[in-house]
Amino acid sequence: MLMKYLFAKNEEIPAGSATIFFGFSSIFWFVVGTGLGSFNAAKLAFPDWVTGTELFAFGHMRQVHVLAVILGWISMAFGMTMMYMTPALGNTKLWSEKLGLWTVFMWNVGLSLGLTLLWMGITSGREYSDLIWPIDLVVIFGVLLPLGINVWMTISHRKTQGIYITNWFFGACIFMLMIVFFVGNSPELFNLTGLTEAYLTFWFAHNVLGLWITPVAAAIAYYTIPKLTGNPLYSHRIGHLHFWSIIAFYSTPASHHLMSAPLPEWLKSFASVEGVLILIPAVAFVANILLTMKGKWSLFVENIETKFSITGVLLAIPLNMQGGFQQTRAINWYVHGTGWIVAHAHLALLGMSSFLEAAAVYFGLQQMLRRKLYSLTLANLHYWFFIIGFCTYWISMTIAGLMQGAGKIYEVPYIDVVVAEHPYMIARWAGGTMVFTGNVIWLYNMWMTAREGTIVPSGRYAHELAYER
Amino acid sequence: MGWKFDQPLYCLSDEQEQKETLELWEKQKFGGLSSGNNRLPFPLTFLIALIVMTAFLVTMPIWGQRPNAQIYTSFVAAMDDPQVQQLATPEEKIAYVTQQAMAQADGVLQGAIERHPLAWDDLLNIAPQIKELQASGSKYSLDNYNVVGDRIALANFEGNFVEGGHRERKQPWWDKGYTIDVFYVAYFMIAIVLITKQLPHFSRKPDMSNAK
Repeated sequence: MLMKYLFAKNEEIPAGSATIFFGFSSIFWFVVGTGLGSFNAAKLAFPDWVTGTELFAFGHMRQVHVLAVILGWISMAFGMTMMYMTPALGNTKLWSEKLGLWTVFMWNVGLSLGLTLLWMGITSGREYSDLIWPIDLVVIFGVLLPLGINVWMTISHRKTQGIYITNWFFGACIFMLMIVFFVGNSPELFNLTGLTEAYLTFWFAHNVLGLWITPVAAAIAYYTIPKLTGNPLYSHRIGHLHFWSIIAFYSTPASHHLMSAPLPEWLKSFASVEGVLILIPAVAFVANILLTMKGKWSLFVENIETKFSITGVLLAIPLNMQGGFQQTRAINWYVHGTGWIVAHAHLALLGMSSFLEAAAVYFGLQQMLRRKLYSLTLANLHYWFFIIGFCTYWISMTIAGLMQGAGKIYEVPYIDVVVAEHPYMIARWAGGTMVFTGNVIWLYNMWMTAREGTIVPSGRYAHELAYER
Repeated sequence: MGWKFDQPLYCLSDEQEQKETLELWEKQKFGGLSSGNNRLPFPLTFLIALIVMTAFLVTMPIWGQRPNAQIYTSFVAAMDDPQVQQLATPEEKIAYVTQQAMAQADGVLQGAIERHPLAWDDLLNIAPQIKELQASGSKYSLDNYNVVGDRIALANFEGNFVEGGHRERKQPWWDKGYTIDVFYVAYFMIAIVLITKQLPHFSRKPDMSNAK
């Protein structure tokens, strides 16, 4: 069906097609990404699991997992939300469904190619920006630029005078991500080496999170929570504080990832202060969303999309508390290079961000398919597998990280630390596998929703009918 | 855009503009969504001020610094004490030397010694280098030298200029990174006040009774 629409006239393509293909692609990549995560975690928990084959070595598989989740699940879920939220918030339709479909097509092809190359060991060798430069250019010009054009043109064709806060973030973050991709990958494009390469590698890693993943996830909540609760967003002015403090304070602290590197000390001092100031947008975002929930907290229990959304917002609190302080000289000295950081990265990507996106994908797919969720029970099962699995992962890796930090500082022999943290590696695998299982359930539930979900009458929202038979 | 500056911390828009903005908010629905005009609750405003202060205080390079050679000069002086030579094990020797050094140290130095304990073998490695530096008449004092594993090395910090025309190589408690931050944060605060004070005052709420 996708191939048919790719070559159809724009006006012949049903509204919402790009959203639906983005939505299912994102869930598919979430299953792949967490499946790979579970496989990799099994290698750390059970060292004899799948050995002797280079392709399945941890060093080959790790970055495939990371980028399948970031560029497959998270970013495609963002693409999906942009395809339906941007026009809805402008009281208009998507500028080009056809361009949207070409974007999702190019995204899947480019990502499949990039991940296959990574799997084969063809990599730039830099964490997070592992893709080789031709694939980076595909991402910039084949994916982000078309996505951006569609979003910017939809915003410019809006039928409202103002622009809602969600669309500020969408429009700005795509632009910033293109800059981040180009500048962050410049060491490979221009053969920059040494400290410059190290700095730009973590400039990329930091800003992919800070100017794409967390702000777009937050932008999604600015749509879903008022939509689901029926309440107005608590404050437009706090939205300003959130948006501009993200721009000011999240774009600057990249060198706090390299506090032990021989970068100029003043640059570390500057970045470290900015790193703590990341708490300002966090306070603004969490306060704005939780205060929007006023009088509607029952939905946190009753409504599956609200349950996912609010869980994501609540996870933003420990995420930013950790992020703000773990980069200071005193704490970074202890936790740098340990599993604590792995736990923190999962708190951002699998915790705060993924819960917010899952809510938006649940909501958007039902809305665009005009079908009620096939099974609320399966959705609740997905939620509980997800939250219990995530917490098991996060807590076990945090404890393992603290043990590794102690081992590092007190010069405990490495193998003793490996033995001591083994139970936590098993817990990590169990937690990750629970998340993966939940996602398989989700994919089945959404597939069945598309095929057999009850049709939602015009003028109603699917979530309003969740408990009606 | 009308500006008024008679009450800059109240609102920077004139009456007509505030009225028009509120009317627009009441009339305009973004796909059924609308926004309120509430202020950041006061405890959270206080929290933001606290975050800014904490950001500077918690990041200053007071903690997590490398040990410098100055910390161990009293160790070096005490290690040749005949009483030390009579002790049987390296653990006993370093315990005695550390005790002697702590007894002579002021509060700051005591804290540094506690944070950077030394093994007897480490002391044997660095002691000749410290003695050599003391004898060399280097223009840098010993606290400009870091202890890096078993080596003593001139630190690569660029501190303030000192008498003699060279820079201190000690990690300064304040550097230009903090100076940049002060201006950066100040400019941000000014900009965000200008942006938010352009909006109608938070006491004026749009009527959302017709929000869909």
